[in-house]
Amino acid sequence: MAHMPTEAQVHQHTAPTGFIRKYIFSVDHKVIGKQYYFLAVFSVFVGMILSWLVRIHLVWPNAHIWGLNALSPAGAPGGVISPEYYLSLLTIHGTLMVFFVLTTAPQAGFGNYALPIQIGAEDMAFPVLNMLSFWVTFLALCALISSLFVGDGPPISGWTAYPPLSAVGRSAGPGQGIGQDLWGISIALFCAGSLLGALNFITTTVDLRCKGMTLMRMPLTCWAWLITAILSLLSFAVLFAACVLLILDRNAGTSFFLPSGLLVNGTLQNHAGGSPLLWQHLFWFFGHPEVYIAIVPGFGVISHVLSVFSRKPILGYKVIVACLLGIGFLSFTVWGHHMFLSGMSPYSGFLFSIPTLIITIPATIISLLWLGTVFGGRLRFTTCMMFALGFVSVFVTGGLGGMFLAQPSLDIFLHGTYFVVGHFHMVMGVAAIFGMFAGTYFWFPKMFGRMLNEGLGKVHFAITFIGVYCIFMPMHFIGLEGMPRRYSSFVNDLMQPLMPVHKFMTIAALITGASQFIFFFNLFWSMYKGPKASENPWESTTLEWTVPSPPPFDNFGGKHPVVYHDPYEYGNVQNGKDYVMQTDPAGQPARSQ
Amino acid sequence: MSLTSDPLATVVQGDNIGVWGGGTLPYAVPSKKLGMWLFIVSDAITFSAVIFSYGYLRLAATAWPRPFEAASITNATVMTFVLLSSSVAMVLAVRASSMGNVNAAVAWLVATALGGVIFDVLHIREWLGLIEQGVRPFHNPWGTPMFGAAFFSMTGLHMLHVTIGVIYLLVIAVGFGRRKFSTVDVEVSGLYWHFVDLVWMFIFPLVYLLSAKTN
Amino acid sequence: MEHSETAGLKIVFSVWFGLLGLTVLEVILAYRQLPLETMLTVLMVLSILKAALIIAYFMHLRYEQASLFVTLIPALVFVLIMMTAIFADSSRLAHMRPLIQ
Repeated sequence: MAHMPTEAQVHQHTAPTGFIRKYIFSVDHKVIGKQYYFLAVFSVFVGMILSWLVRIHLVWPNAHIWGLNALSPAGAPGGVISPEYYLSLLTIHGTLMVFFVLTTAPQAGFGNYALPIQIGAEDMAFPVLNMLSFWVTFLALCALISSLFVGDGPPISGWTAYPPLSAVGRSAGPGQGIGQDLWGISIALFCAGSLLGALNFITTTVDLRCKGMTLMRMPLTCWAWLITAILSLLSFAVLFAACVLLILDRNAGTSFFLPSGLLVNGTLQNHAGGSPLLWQHLFWFFGHPEVYIAIVPGFGVISHVLSVFSRKPILGYKVIVACLLGIGFLSFTVWGHHMFLSGMSPYSGFLFSIPTLIITIPATIISLLWLGTVFGGRLRFTTCMMFALGFVSVFVTGGLGGMFLAQPSLDIFLHGTYFVVGHFHMVMGVAAIFGMFAGTYFWFPKMFGRMLNEGLGKVHFAITFIGVYCIFMPMHFIGLEGMPRRYSSFVNDLMQPLMPVHKFMTIAALITGASQFIFFFNLFWSMYKGPKASENPWESTTLEWTVPSPPPFDNFGGKHPVVYHDPYEYGNVQNGKDYVMQTDPAGQPARSQ
Repeated sequence: MSLTSDPLATVVQGDNIGVWGGGTLPYAVPSKKLGMWLFIVSDAITFSAVIFSYGYLRLAATAWPRPFEAASITNATVMTFVLLSSSVAMVLAVRASSMGNVNAAVAWLVATALGGVIFDVLHIREWLGLIEQGVRPFHNPWGTPMFGAAFFSMTGLHMLHVTIGVIYLLVIAVGFGRRKFSTVDVEVSGLYWHFVDLVWMFIFPLVYLLSAKTN
Repeated sequence: MEHSETAGLKIVFSVWFGLLGLTVLEVILAYRQLPLETMLTVLMVLSILKAALIIAYFMHLRYEQASLFVTLIPALVFVLIMMTAIFADSSRLAHMRPLIQ
């Protein structure tokens, strides 16, 4: 069949010139990947500061925090965080972290950068659409951040924005006027950007693989990005609909999510006919695939990196692919486990609990295969490898908490407690972030042509690894004791004995947070002053390591690579190397497939 | 390296994994078309979420009005015919473009867009009529206030897609006429237009027919 | 491998007439005073049939690679089927009317 020219091949004949075309409105996937990455770096920085404010307030509720009075005189008079402002801070923290950090960098950041090169393509299938996706996402971030500065502050409804609180408007509380509208607009824009990105990723992976790059010869990173893109394509559509309906409820007087007879702050609302449960269904139908969108790219990076730095082929490539597909499929069947206590049909509790428990199986298999990959390998303890091994640890730890929450009978007690907070922070706030760190330490040489400092990296890892356990493991225990989440202070005598635990976690959070500045310093210093990187500093087999660091604008200098091998040919020493590049026509495979 | 000694030759050529062996388009459609199909799948899910929300609330409601008189149903039926006919015009446009007949393709594209405009005009007229009768997103004279909300949001979302489609088709028509766009671009715009028609196939019965005044 | 970009004219017009006919059928059925659930089922079946005709013949999916159909449609259908789980709560809501209407 005819190989019809794609948009990428038609457009990428000449390198872009001029600052705007090269760095601002660039259609080069490498630039766009970096743009997404730095958008995530900015977001995680802001999100981390917000988390410090939250944690400080829990332990020192009357602390006068410098700068807050200027930011929000109503929310933090004299710099003392009010209960409503506490909720505002954690709303923006959650929204920033889940959307603008975990749904951008792992997929749109690293994926945009590395996918085309790893499959031997010059660029993504739709470069202009790619650029549009980034700028739409950027606009979304602007809308969200602006909610901190306009009106009476950000919304207080959490990143989950449950109605009636989120739908009735200003009468529900501070931030529920323009703040919530900005949130809705931001998320709707984000959905649009994600949708465009998703169809770009899928089309690129299907159509632009170079000769010899069969699907089963793709690095596992590419499989992870493909499956994540499919999840994004299918799930963000529902969130978009939900946000549109929420915006209508707030501004057009509709009542999709608002029942009749609602008394808000003493005022009877005019709405009738809607159901708050409908929002929960729509939101979590998106929300559960979303958390897999956040973690699956990490699975890909870790699978990839563990093999590279163990100098061993990944154990069970096909099984990992099957497990990733299984996780993707099952992720659409479990959303009700966020709603066990919502008042939904009791039969649904049982029906959602079963697939929630089943989904642990492929995740466990993947974790075991990672251990099997590392076992017996000639480990190279680079910082990247440390974060990869750390990922295995924190993901298993955090995931185990999910097994408790999956059971409605236990969730009756654990829902809305710190147990949940500890669980999702371990898997998303730690494991997924470790995936991002691993990706950074791995691809930094390729992206910037320089090496990150390994000494600083190891210090960063050590403090972070110990720190995150100190912050998030105790949350499981205080959650089991019944400590509720999203409470700005605890005056109940029952909770007072647990306050020292909060103090411990806060101090750990501040130290761990401070140590991230080691990483930020390393990142920005090494971009300009780090030692120059060779083409293949990690002795890795995949296609991005066959091109210069950083690569030319069309990745392969006009050549079309041909692939002869699987991506994980490590360990079999031949020609003085213990690895065989995917593009090496001569090398023997490590073992027969 | 010649193809015959290329160890990959046996993989890429002739095998049934050859289509997925890299360097080809496995679905035998240009990338733009695959991209539009993927967009359509996602947009279909968005529409479905809105329609399911309508279903969810209607099934739970006690006083869902059935206000559409014969005139409204006739109007909506005519709108359905117009949209279906515009889809046929679109098929003819694609056919003409693939046969290299630029003028015919442009003409059929414009005809399709015209169908969309007629649809929009009939729709707006209907909206104005309902608004005059007192239907709002938050209130109507006949029953639960959600009737107006569901009606305006579903038909509004659809009308937005039709309008975007009209603009899109006219851009393609002009561009194809100037030989800037190819047959693939016409086909891709056709896919979008048929999708818009397809969504109406669900909105028409679920919104209009299920609220027809039958007594 | 050249394939026509559209189906033959005869098929296209047959499908068109079929769609118009199904529309008329839907309108006639709407006036038959059937109970809501029956009406809903019948209309959904007919709508899915019309959608299938449009997808297959106007959008040309019938003539594309089978793999394209397998990639797109089952995923869409799966998501839609999963979303119907929400209706369990909808029918419960119908039995739980609030005090103030």
